Amino acid sequence: MIVAMWENATDDQIQEVTNHLVKMGFAVHRTTGARQSVLAAVGRRIDFDTRELEVLPGVQTVHRISAPYKLAGRTWRPEGTVVRLPNGVEVGGKQVVVMAGPCSVESSQQIFAAAEQVSKAGAKVLRGGAFKPRSSPYTFQGLGLDALKLLREAGDRYGLLVISEVMEISQIDAMMPYIDIFQVGARNMQNFNLLRELGKIRKPVLLKRGIAATIEELLLSAEYVMSGGNYDIILCERGIRTFETYTRNTLDISAIPVVHKLSHLPITSDPSHGTGLRDKVAPMARASVAAGADALLIEVHPSPDDALSDGAQSLFPQQFAELMEQLRIIAPAVDRTI
Amino acid sequence: MDIADWRRKIDELDRRLVELINQRAECAHEIGKLKRNSEMPIYEPDREKIVFDNIARHNPGPLSNIELRQIYERLIDVMRQIQRDEMAPETNAGSDHTELGTND
Repeated sequence: MIVAMWENATDDQIQEVTNHLVKMGFAVHRTTGARQSVLAAVGRRIDFDTRELEVLPGVQTVHRISAPYKLAGRTWRPEGTVVRLPNGVEVGGKQVVVMAGPCSVESSQQIFAAAEQVSKAGAKVLRGGAFKPRSSPYTFQGLGLDALKLLREAGDRYGLLVISEVMEISQIDAMMPYIDIFQVGARNMQNFNLLRELGKIRKPVLLKRGIAATIEELLLSAEYVMSGGNYDIILCERGIRTFETYTRNTLDISAIPVVHKLSHLPITSDPSHGTGLRDKVAPMARASVAAGADALLIEVHPSPDDALSDGAQSLFPQQFAELMEQLRIIAPAVDRTI
Repeated sequence: MDIADWRRKIDELDRRLVELINQRAECAHEIGKLKRNSEMPIYEPDREKIVFDNIARHNPGPLSNIELRQIYERLIDVMRQIQRDEMAPETNAGSDHTELGTND
């Protein structure tokens, strides 16, 4: 951490800041300039608040150098994390893993049709919501446990793994036998109690970025889960809230290379929620693969016009198959397969 | 004198400087040992102020007091680390990293 003092800071003020830093456990290296003095605080603490120093008299700026997270940071595992799933599927390896399926499980016929279609096109994981976090209490809330059973059957039938969203701690045990990846929704990214419980399980967790969360906050949430011992975290960029309202969210493609630099965890892109508009999904999916995404999470419905939720952003099966063909051409350009 | 001559002079002065700096470090080392069994802190701003006043008073130039002080600030950082190592060698092994995300 660097503390720069104002030019007219008195020696007593500089001393006061130094004492404070020493008390916090840092070694202080002072450089007394002809006009401005700078203090370099050297030490191992990661859990401090720079504002403690910003409010001291004479302090101009405080610049933090280290990250507030440790386990989620790239230096902790420089070679990168590869999350190993059943069926030999790996997220974070050479193959871009495509997870596809409807927003929610609506019926046996619907989910089986979806599973067959996405599997044929090359997806490796079947998505489908059982417990839906709808913004309105009057809309379809999901089929619950029945949906999980259908997901598992459909997945097994067509050779797909299963991912579904967990909304609260009480659902974890119920979902455990049926799914391969626990999805944490954007609105639960800072549900710290849920994250702590998921840290205790030993199944992979897909952690979505909050609708207005910084990447640092996303990595700190991953840190929560990892500090419980569960290191199989897959991050997910699903669009952030900006002033632009034409698209449902603004898909932050730059989050992909940024996360690859700051963290060792693989990152997924969700172009469906990221845009909210069917005809924007394919271009954003292509861009995500080109930007280096480790996985994609795409909504596909056998008949989007009849969907009970998010129909407007769901791809038709034919569109999904065409998109996969295009991605097969783009992936090798960035040294990946799909 | 040409550049080569001045550099020879610098090399000779460096030899003497290195000797003196190490003698200074030896003093810091001994002080660290004596502080180990007492409650005295490593960081002593009042003593450091006396040191800076002394060098300013005995500064014949051409260096300005500020320039001399900057050199001494780095010297004293190292001296302080020597004392720290002396007072708690196990806990301080490798502790002098910048907080740039070092691993345990």
